[in-house]
Amino acid sequence: MSGYDFHPLVKQLLDGDLTLADLPVELRAEGEEALRLLTAVDRRPVELPAVTQRVMQTLASRPAPAAPLPPVPAWKRVMQPREIRLRIRPWILAPALAIAAALMLWIWPATLATPKPPSLVTVRFVLVAPDAREVSLAGTFNQWDAHATPLVRTGSTGVWTATLTLPAGQHQYAFVVDGERWVPDPGAPAVDDGFGRRNSVLTL
Amino acid sequence: MRPGAEPKDGDIVRAVLAGEPERYAVLVNRYRDRYARYAARMLGSADAAEDAVQDAFVRAYDQLAQCQQPDNFVGWFFLILRNRCFAERRRSRAEAPLEAADSVAAADRTDGGAETAERRRALQLALMELTPDQREVFVLKHVEGLSYGQIAERLSTSIPSLKMRMHRAYDRLREQLREHT
Repeated sequence: MSGYDFHPLVKQLLDGDLTLADLPVELRAEGEEALRLLTAVDRRPVELPAVTQRVMQTLASRPAPAAPLPPVPAWKRVMQPREIRLRIRPWILAPALAIAAALMLWIWPATLATPKPPSLVTVRFVLVAPDAREVSLAGTFNQWDAHATPLVRTGSTGVWTATLTLPAGQHQYAFVVDGERWVPDPGAPAVDDGFGRRNSVLTL
Repeated sequence: MRPGAEPKDGDIVRAVLAGEPERYAVLVNRYRDRYARYAARMLGSADAAEDAVQDAFVRAYDQLAQCQQPDNFVGWFFLILRNRCFAERRRSRAEAPLEAADSVAAADRTDGGAETAERRRALQLALMELTPDQREVFVLKHVEGLSYGQIAERLSTSIPSLKMRMHRAYDRLREQLREHT
């Protein structure tokens, strides 16, 4: 703030928001002084006809600007091999080795412990096939051997059954009817076997 | 593009980048005078303005691949010229502004009489005593005739901030003109 500050209303006059008539009478003289200031503004155009030739002469000795390369997709940036250099002071390795040794001692007994045998579950497989002459079971638990696990017909109802004891986990299987027709278990979920057939899935 | 139509800035920028550097002359011809007056009032001298505009065009050419919006080449070019003008004032702050203002006023001795020339010279001298920020907002509004809204858009700033700068500029100009008359 100095003794030359214009009144805020006079500044609005200079901004074009007010006219001289809008000012109170006591500010008119200050307003006229302010407007005189603007009449001294030099708005005449400035022309620089020689610039084009000078610019183009300068550019003649410069390399042409190259178009920017298209951006590399994010997945390519991630997959591109790149060199990573690490500078490590040897003494820094000491605590790292100590931590690694402690972890080994902690994990080692667990890895040496005798693995528990997988728990076994007894399962009964059932297929209703009144017209079948023979039915068997082929799956991951018998290496897909169509003759290894035959089912037994119970009475004359056409119900075929087999009871197996299998390790806990997931097994895939199918019934083999009359030695040639592979039938998924209608009571179990199925997945594509990759060769156009469906295998039943049993999770124990 | 229809025959005879002026090519758009974006088309020219893309042509230059595609290997036709001579097309850049179209942009220089198109805009060399548009901001010459801004540069002259910012730097206080038509000669300094000529150097600044020329340098800005050369710098724009070198960095053309970084022009994100080729269709708004002129807005991008203005920012390069503005940086050049600000840098020039920092560099030549020690130089006597009287000489610069003299060169601006010298050409108008025959246009409007000695009194007008003297008032223009006095105001240009006073303008050179402002900070570049203050001088710029005064030049854009009262020389180039832009509104506060247009200036705010061009400089990516707010209208209240511009008005604050401008109102300080009014006070400084009044002080300078009173002291030198």
